[in-house]
Formats: sequence, structure tokens, C-alpha cells
Amino acid sequence: MHCWQFIARQLPARNRKMVLEMGAIDIVKGHYIRELAGKGVREDGRGLLDFRNLVIKPNVLENTEGSAQVDLGGTRVLCGVKLQVESPMDDTPDQGNLIVNSELLPLAHADFEVGPPRPEAIELARVVDRGIRAANCVNLTGLFIEAEKAWSVFVDLYVLNYDGNLFDASSTAAMAALMHTKVPKYENGKAIYSEKKNALKLDSTVVSTTFAKLDNTLMLDPSINEEIESDTRVTIANDGKVVRAMQKGKSGSFSTQEIETLVDVSLGKYGEISKKLEHTR
Amino acid sequence: MASKANKPELIVNGKRLDGRDFGDLRSLTIEASVLRNADGSAYLEWGNNKVLAAVFGPREATPKHMQDPAKAIVKCRYAMAPFSSIGEHGRTGPNRRAMEISKVTQEAFENTIMLTDFPGSEIDIFIEILQSDGGTRAAGITAASVALASAGIHMKDLIYAVSVGKIGEHLVLDLNMIEDNYSDSDMPMAFSPKDEKVLLLQMDGDFSKEEVARAMRMGLDAGKVISKVQKDALLAVYSKAAAGQKQENGA
Amino acid sequence: MRNIVMPGDIVAQMPMQLENAYVDEGKTYSKILGMYEEGAKLIIPLEGAWNPRIDDLVVGVVVSAKNFVYEVDLSSFMRSILIGGKFDTRTYKPGEVIEAIVKDVEDRRTIILDRPRTLYGGSLLNVKAVKIPRIIGKNDTMIGQIANATKCTIVVGKNGNIWLKGGDIALATYAIKKVENEAHTSGLTEKIKVMLENSSK
Repeated sequence: MHCWQFIARQLPARNRKMVLEMGAIDIVKGHYIRELAGKGVREDGRGLLDFRNLVIKPNVLENTEGSAQVDLGGTRVLCGVKLQVESPMDDTPDQGNLIVNSELLPLAHADFEVGPPRPEAIELARVVDRGIRAANCVNLTGLFIEAEKAWSVFVDLYVLNYDGNLFDASSTAAMAALMHTKVPKYENGKAIYSEKKNALKLDSTVVSTTFAKLDNTLMLDPSINEEIESDTRVTIANDGKVVRAMQKGKSGSFSTQEIETLVDVSLGKYGEISKKLEHTR
Repeated sequence: MASKANKPELIVNGKRLDGRDFGDLRSLTIEASVLRNADGSAYLEWGNNKVLAAVFGPREATPKHMQDPAKAIVKCRYAMAPFSSIGEHGRTGPNRRAMEISKVTQEAFENTIMLTDFPGSEIDIFIEILQSDGGTRAAGITAASVALASAGIHMKDLIYAVSVGKIGEHLVLDLNMIEDNYSDSDMPMAFSPKDEKVLLLQMDGDFSKEEVARAMRMGLDAGKVISKVQKDALLAVYSKAAAGQKQENGA
Repeated sequence: MRNIVMPGDIVAQMPMQLENAYVDEGKTYSKILGMYEEGAKLIIPLEGAWNPRIDDLVVGVVVSAKNFVYEVDLSSFMRSILIGGKFDTRTYKPGEVIEAIVKDVEDRRTIILDRPRTLYGGSLLNVKAVKIPRIIGKNDTMIGQIANATKCTIVVGKNGNIWLKGGDIALATYAIKKVENEAHTSGLTEKIKVMLENSSK
């Protein structure tokens, strides 16, 4: 039997903020989450290194070139991919562009507000972008059409419901949408959007894994309560062979040994997620 | 509006391009309570429109100086996803058009919601156009109305919206994207079906006095179908809930 | 007769004093999505915010304390105040969970609380306030069997906050969430019973 002898305290000075401001009720829940973590247990009974249920639905929007909706537990992210003919960047005249953007929609959580993008939304987009870019998932050279013309790939991530771990849900949604993206026909300097034939060429699949740390307990795919209460978190993206992108968040710290362990776990999770992505084809 | 120079023939042999008669609605489906965190929500598909509406509230109004001690305040955001249209990537963030639509939508709901039941609070309505095919503001209002009901907000009625346009000399119901781009006139309207009151009205083009009257009549007639879809969406979720409640209360 | 009504649905051809209904031009209409019980002259909400009533038991968190006046977060748009002092020598610190009784509601804006009790430790769970009757069950059957099987101490607030302590909180939380999500299904008491038995084996 557990022993619950602690008294609810006020929030310690350390930074526990993630995407949300903590309310009084979150603090009480947080104490409980931390207590559980100390025993190696999670609020939903999952193993420490288990993902929540992952459901990938591709091709949900017809006006896009590619789309997917991902449910990771209660977190829901919609991804729309648009292709557009633009000039290549000056420093990469033989390549197309990849632009990842994310929106924490106000309908996704009571505390998401209307307004300019928050730093959390920008970080989310950039971390997803880095994984895809570093793993060379989208063959940027393959986006080159002719002199001064290349495809720009716009990946828009729409967070529809926030229940923790937006990084992995968004990265999976982006990967799934890209896997189902069709390139429009190109004619006389213009895209013919009504005619789409070839699939967008992808060279690899990147899988994102996010871990939260509470005191000395490490857990994969944090729920909203775990994410809010966590001291720190790290996202590790890999392509099944090597690590492709990492991002540590929040003010806590990891030991080097912990990072090494998590890299191992991350690589071990590649098969599970990439298989689910492949199954949508 | 698109250039009139390459205007396609919108009516062929008395039928519209998608095969509809002048007074036909496109297919309409609504699913209620689709989002977990929102207090109420609805997902709507109307023709090729795909719309998500969600409601939060009543909750404490912020900032505090915006609070009205006598009644609730309503905030509405209508926004279009940058991937919602065929063709190039759209701009993110609200533009002037979206802000105007947000305003008139908010005003329609201020009429419908029983504001004095929730003094000092705010009720937020978020409408996201995920895919657009003409008539998105009407689709947004129709979805938001279901979202509000599923949030348990006190309202006078379950309102809906629809638009009537003019192609040549014909009045046509529920314009799709191509018709909207090339038609001569468009008149979106929102109605309270209970007493047939007009809660939103916009129009541009040319309508005679007689055509305005006829367009409103078409909008009201269409309401019979739209209201039924709205109610069926709520019934699909809550008829089961009601049955469960009956049993538990020992009826 | 009971049936589902929606905002704007007519419930009587004459003016009637009915909770969650309004009168317009001599007729009575529902203003909510609810169940109309013609016999009991009642519209039971199927969704919506907690509507505080005097004597409701609530669970909340103290958010501020000043001169024995405490503000309590009840997850409601209304402000809730607990006035201490006088005969009550106890004090409540911000961050503490309390249960209390609704003593009064002023202008549908401020809830006055009374008979507070600190709930030490444990965890909180939020559920939809309209699901609370189902979670409690007829004569406490539902919550009673959850508490027995999990050995948890459970306080269910009408406002939708539930406090749990001791025992298998994870299982109790899972069971309560299951009741909330499946409130519409029949035979739920039995289903939860079986689930609890299987989990404790």
C-alpha cells in the first residue's frame, strides 16, 4: 500500500513550465505524478518506455498535396503538405526548399491563446524540421525543376488536441503526410495542381522519441501531466541507424550516461514507429 | 473574385456544374464532440468544405478588465488553414477577411447565447477551416452552433447559415468554390429557425428587391435540411447518453 | 415521457417555470441540450458547466489566503470564497486541497463556501460535472465499489473535481475515467465491477 504523507506544497521556484502555465490543480496532480514516478509507475499504467496508442490516418485533406492525422494517446496533430514552384535559395541554386510550420491552435487546449506564434510552437516546428532535414528524408536536390525553378515543400502542423508530447506526434504526422505527398504536374513555369502523378521522393524515414525526466525516472512519450511536472525532457530523432536530431528542453539536466541510455532506447523504437508509418502505404 | 474573362459556363441544361438543381444543397455531414479538451466541438463536411469548430467556456473572462459583471462576453476566431485551398500555400495568420468574418459570426452568436446566464465569463468559439470549397463562413457557423450545444451553453436556438447566389438570372442555393468565384452575386445568411430571424446578412453583387426576398426564402427552406443534420449529429452522440442516464437513475 | 431536447426546441405551448428553459411569446423552449422529463417538469442537462446549488459538496484547491479570506479554485468560471476566522481557528495554505459545502451563490458570480476540510496529500482528477451523478451511482453504488476494490479514499465534488488518496489510485482513476467516457452505456455498474475484479487479481 502506498503512503501519502506529503502535504501539498506551493510550487517550488524551479521552472516547471512547458507549454502551459501551471494552475493550482496541476500542482496537486504534479505531486502525484512525481510520487508515482519515484515508484517507476505512470498514471495510465504504461511501462516507462512505452508509447501510448498511435493511430495514423493518411490522406485526410484533398486540397493538399499530402496530409495525415495522427493520434498519440489524446494528442491529435493534423499535417497538411503543399507544394509550390519558387526560386531556389541563392546559396543552394540546385535544390528545393523545405518549410515546416506549426500552430498550437486555441481549440487544442484551454490555455492555448489566440495570437502570434509562441516560442513553443516555433521550437516544435524547428525540431521536426531538423529531424526531417538531417535525415535527408526529403531529397531536396530532387525538388529542383529547372534553372530558377524548384519545388518548395510547405509542411504545416496543426495541433488539434494537446495531451502531451507534441514533438513525436508532430514528427510522425509530418512523416506520414510526406509519405503520401504527390507532386503536381509542372508546365511552363507553373504547377498544375489538378494533375498529380509522382509521389514525392523520400530517401529515409525519421522517427522521433521524446523522454521526460522526473527526479531520476526517465519515461518515453510523456502525457500532459507528466510533461508539465517533468524537470527536463529530451527529443531524439533517428533514422534507424544513427541519431539525426536532438533537443533538450526545460531547465533540468541529464547525466551523460542517461543520454547514452536514451539514444539506445530511441534507436530501439525505430522499428515500431517506422512499421506503423509503412503500414499506411 | 476571379477574372470574369475566362468565366466557365456555370449552368448547363438547367443544371449546375456539379449536377445540382438551383435549390439543392451539397452533401452535409456533422459529427459532434470530436475533440477531447474542448468543452464542445463539431466536425463538419459540407461539399468539399472541412471545418472544425470548438467551444471553451463559460470560463473566467480575461483580461479582467474585459469582464462584464452582468453578462458573458463572446469571442470568436474564424481562421483558414494555409493548406485549405487548391493551389499555392496560403498565408498563415488572420487577414482582414477572416477578421471581418470572425466579427459578424461573433455577433450572430451574441444574439443566440443567453449571455446573462453566465455573468463575468467568456465563451470562446474557434472555427478552423481545414479545407475550403466556398461558403466557409456558413459552414463555420453551422458547425459552431453544434459545438456550442455540445458544450451545454444556454442558447435560444440552434442557428445555422447558408448562402444564396445569383448565376445569370437564376438564384442558386449554397455556392461552391467555382460558383462563388464567378457568380454575379452572393448573399450569406444565418438564421434562427425557431422564429426565422436573420442573425447574419452580407451581400455583394446585384439583387432586386424581389430577389432579396426570394433568396431569404430559399435560405429558410434549406434550414429544414441543415437543422436536421445538426440535430442528428447531437442525437447520435447523446441519445445513448440519455439512455445510460435513464438506467442509472432507475427509470 | 423523457426525450432529448435541443436549444430552441418547444417543450410547452404555454408559459412554464422550468429550469433550463425560457418563455418566448407565450411558449416554453429549451435553452440547453438536455433530457426533458415531462412528469417531473425538469430538463436535465447532458453537457455543460457545473451549476452550483446550495449544499453541493465540492473539491478545490486554495489559491490565495488573505485575512482569513480564501479564494478556492473549483474549476468554475465563478469565483469561490471561503471565509475563515471567527470560530474557525484553522488556516488554509495556497496549494492545499479542500472539500467544502456551497453555502450561497451570489448573483451567479460568487460561490460562498462553508464547512471546509483539508484533504492532505493524494491526487486530483477532473471529470465533466454532468457525469458526476453517474460516477456516484444510485445510492453511491458506483463510487462505493471503486473505493472498495482499490482501497482508495475518494471524495467526489459536484464541481467535477475528485480527490483520491491511498490504495491503487491509478486503477481508481482508470475506473472513474471509464465511467465518464462510457456513461451512456448500459450495464456499466456490472462492467466496472468485472474490470475491477480482473485488475486486482
